[in-house]
Amino acid sequence: MKEVMDAVATFFGYAVLAIFAQNAIFTRGLGVSRLVQLVGDDRTSSWWFALMLCVTQVLVAPLAFYAGGFIAPLENRAQLRPLVYLACIAVVCLFELLVLRLVHGPRSGQLIRILPLAALNSCVLGTVLVERTQSFSLGQSLGFGLGSGLGYLLAVMLVTEASNRLRSRAIPSAFRGLPITLIYVGVLALAIYGFTGHSVIL
Amino acid sequence: MRRDAAERFLKNPEKYAHHDRVFLNNPAVMQGMGLAPLVVLATSGRNAFMLAIAVALLLTPSRLLACLLSRAVPLNDEEPSAEELEKKLLFRGLIYCGSAAVVYFLVYPILNALFGVELLSLGVYLPLLVVEPLLIYRFGRVQEWPRKAFSKGIRITVGYGLLLLLVGCIREWLAAGTVFGVTLTRPVLPMASMPAGGFIVLGVVCAVWRALVSWRKKDLRNEAGNVVGMYAHKEVNHKQ
Repeated sequence: MKEVMDAVATFFGYAVLAIFAQNAIFTRGLGVSRLVQLVGDDRTSSWWFALMLCVTQVLVAPLAFYAGGFIAPLENRAQLRPLVYLACIAVVCLFELLVLRLVHGPRSGQLIRILPLAALNSCVLGTVLVERTQSFSLGQSLGFGLGSGLGYLLAVMLVTEASNRLRSRAIPSAFRGLPITLIYVGVLALAIYGFTGHSVIL
Repeated sequence: MRRDAAERFLKNPEKYAHHDRVFLNNPAVMQGMGLAPLVVLATSGRNAFMLAIAVALLLTPSRLLACLLSRAVPLNDEEPSAEELEKKLLFRGLIYCGSAAVVYFLVYPILNALFGVELLSLGVYLPLLVVEPLLIYRFGRVQEWPRKAFSKGIRITVGYGLLLLLVGCIREWLAAGTVFGVTLTRPVLPMASMPAGGFIVLGVVCAVWRALVSWRKKDLRNEAGNVVGMYAHKEVNHKQ
């Protein structure tokens, strides 16, 4: 019983760590290009995007855990990393595609269109690389993967919420759009540093 | 400005600017691509230089390879239908990322030979380049030709490399008072070396860049108008 409780505590502890103290956007800038595009894109739902991102991250974590263990003794592992982890992401994407095609629900088409955007970005691959670089266990990797996706959703929500104000005419025209969004994300990142300090392992 | 360039500019200023990937339509400043390495890693001139070399080695070859392979699942329209996207988008994305990963596998020894252990300071952001929108954004766009992929790849590399160096040098100067290790002043803003500082510095750089672009476009419009007007005047005189 104690072991189960420990595993659950580790899972949720790492999920919370990834949502706040090591938020993918605010502390590592992972997936920030996609976030900037997503906030200005009315055709892609942020919620569904974040859902696909979370599902992909959680499913990729165990695959990458075992694949990482497989390439760890190799001399050219640094060279192989993107290829191997991308292969893990590709397997998960194909599985998700298959499920969405088989389920054929009312939103399947929309989710299939969102899938490549949500899975092929630096948040997913970056989270996997951080997990493997820091030698997380399987439970830690799963928790961190889920938390990273939720942290991304938090960042998207915070930026989307502010986007109306960021379009204000009071803002000089040169700053409107991307520049003010970056400054806003920077200020939010500073707030997170206030709680956690600022050391980030690359 | 030459006459044909002036006429092209007056006919469609946005299309003219679209081709200039270095200044008028820099992919990072105008479209927000490749922001993660700029924000987190371009903290010094040296880091920025290493990243610029990595991008130079990766971007054009991977784009060319992806362009050739993605012909198996081409997107034929500028505005593809939902059915076409559902059928092809994921496979095109995997082709573009996979091509970048294969090129990364091939160029990593070159980077290792050039920079050695210094390469480790780039952390996870070096392998992350294989999913950077800067390298793979074409997967959601209409199929391009290899020649166009090559020329656009080169122009994007130059534009992004210049921005990397600019941001790297500014942040190094603000955070440490040095540029490429040469002391200029005392540190002005140590926070500039952190990701939060990176967001803010990059935001300000983008704003200044965009203001300069807007000023340059206005300038080009005047110049193009003058050139076309001058030639029209000459032609009238010649006929008389």
